Amino acid sequence: MSKTAKKKPYLQTLALGGLSLASYYFLFTHVNQVMEYFVKGGIYAALPIATALYFSIVHGSFASNVLSILGLQAAKGTGH
Amino acid sequence: MKKWIVVLFTAVFMLMMFAPAAFAESAPPDNFKIGSFTQVNEASHTATFVPSDTNEPATVKLDEAIKAEDVKLDDKAMVSFSDSNGSETVTEITVMFLGLTRDKLIALLIVGLVGGLLSGFIGSGGAFVLTPAMMSLGAPGAVAVASNMCHKFPKAMVGSYKRFRYGQVDVKLGLVVAGSAIAGVQVGFQIQKWILNTWGSAGSDLYVSFVFVIILVVVGGIIFKDAVTTAKGKTEVKTPKLAARLQKIKIPPMIHFKKADVVISAWVTMPVGFATGLLAATIAVGGFVGVPGMIYMIGATAMVASATELLVAFVMGMWGSIQWALAGLVDIRLVLIILAASLFGVQLGALGTTYVRDHTIKLVMGTVMLIVAVSRGVKVPVYLAHLNIISLDKNLANLLDSISFWALIAALLVAGGIISAAMVKGIVRSRIEEKEAAVAGRA
Repeated sequence: MSKTAKKKPYLQTLALGGLSLASYYFLFTHVNQVMEYFVKGGIYAALPIATALYFSIVHGSFASNVLSILGLQAAKGTGH
Repeated sequence: MKKWIVVLFTAVFMLMMFAPAAFAESAPPDNFKIGSFTQVNEASHTATFVPSDTNEPATVKLDEAIKAEDVKLDDKAMVSFSDSNGSETVTEITVMFLGLTRDKLIALLIVGLVGGLLSGFIGSGGAFVLTPAMMSLGAPGAVAVASNMCHKFPKAMVGSYKRFRYGQVDVKLGLVVAGSAIAGVQVGFQIQKWILNTWGSAGSDLYVSFVFVIILVVVGGIIFKDAVTTAKGKTEVKTPKLAARLQKIKIPPMIHFKKADVVISAWVTMPVGFATGLLAATIAVGGFVGVPGMIYMIGATAMVASATELLVAFVMGMWGSIQWALAGLVDIRLVLIILAASLFGVQLGALGTTYVRDHTIKLVMGTVMLIVAVSRGVKVPVYLAHLNIISLDKNLANLLDSISFWALIAALLVAGGIISAAMVKGIVRSRIEEKEAAVAGRA
C-alpha cells in the first residue's frame, strides 16, 4: 500500500454503525408506541420529520464512511 | 454571493409560509380521520372508533357497503366519513400500515438502493418507482405518497451535500428554481383538482398519463439524442442553442449563477422552476423537467443541473413532507427501511458523477424517461376503458398493468446498470492513471 494512502476511518465507521443500528433497533422494538404518536398529526408532525433527519445524518455518515473504507471515493481533483 | 443566498433562502421559506397548499405530488386528503376500531356492533351496524388525535372513543355508523367483518379491530386505519343522514357515517376504511414480511423488506431495500443511486446520479428519480412499489406491497396510496416524500427530502439533502462538496451544486440556481417551483405546484394542484372534479378519478389518471407520456417522450427523446450525439464527439457541446438565445434576453433582473457559469434573466429561470413545480404536482417527478430545463433553457451543464436538482428536491420535499406529516400519513417504518439502503445509493450515485462526463448523465436520464413513458403509456387504454371510451378485455387490462409495473423496474435496473458500468470503468481508468503517474514520478 502506498505511504500516501489516507488512513481509513474504521473507528468512526464502527461508532456510527453502532449508533445507527441501535437507533434502528430502538425504533423497531418500540414500533407500536412510535406509530401511535407519529400519526397523530399536528404538532406531532415534527416527530417523523426529525426522525428522518436524524437517521439521514447518522446513517448517512455511516454509509459515507463505509464507502470510503471500500475505496469508493470521488475522483481525484473533484471538490474536496 | 453569501448575501444573495441568505436573501434567497428567506424568500423561498417566506413563499412556503404563504403557500399552505404548496407541496409536490398532490394534496393530502382531508375527509378522513386516523384511528382504530375497538368494537363492532353487527345488530345496529355501528362501531366504536378511537381517533388518534383525541383518543376519545365515539360510536360511529357504518355505511351499508361496509360489512362488519371489514372492520379490523385495533389496526390503525384511515377512516373516511360522510355527513349523509345528518350524522357521521363511515364510508371507507383503509388499514394504514402494511405488515412487514422478509420479502417486502428485501424489496424495499433493493428499490431504495437503486432509486437512491439514480437520484444521486441524475438528481431525481426513485420516486416514480417507490410510490407504486409501496402501493403494490399493500400501502394505501396516500401513505405511499407521504412516506415516499418523507424519505425523499433527507435523501436529497445527503445527496446535495455530497455533490456540493464535489463542487457541482449551484445553490443560488437551486433556490431560485425551488422558489418558482412552489408557485408551479400551487397552480398544478388547482388544475388537478379541477380535472378530478370535472372528469373524476379515471379522467384525472388519463390527464396525468397523457401529460406524463408526452413530456417524457419529447424531453427524454431530446436528452437521449443529445447524449448519443455528444458521446460520439470528443468534446461536450458548450451551451445548447436555446439556452444561448435565452441568455441574450437582457430583461432585468439579471442573475449571475456562478457555478453554472451563466448570467441569465430571472424571467427565464422562473418559468423553468414553475414548470418543475407544475409537473411535480401533476406527474410527481418534477426533476424530469427541472434538470432538462436547467440544461437546455438556462445553459447549465448536466453535471451542475443534476446536482442542483437535488437541492430543489430537498427544499420542495421537506415542505411536502411537513404537509403530509401534519395529516399524520407518514409510515416512518417504510421511510427508515428505504433510507437504510437509499442513503448508500445516493452517495454512490453522487460519487459516480465524478468519474463520468456530462453525456453519461444525459444518457441515463434519457433512457429512464423513455422507459418510464412506456410504463405509463400502456396504462392509457385502461383509463380510456374506465371512462367508457373504449372497451377492454379484463385479462388484457391486467396484462397492461403488469407491463406497466415491470417497465418501472426495468427502468431502475437499466439505469443502475449504466451507472454501475460507467462508474467501474471510470474508477479503473483513474487507478491506472494514478499508477502510471506514480511510475513516471519514480522514474
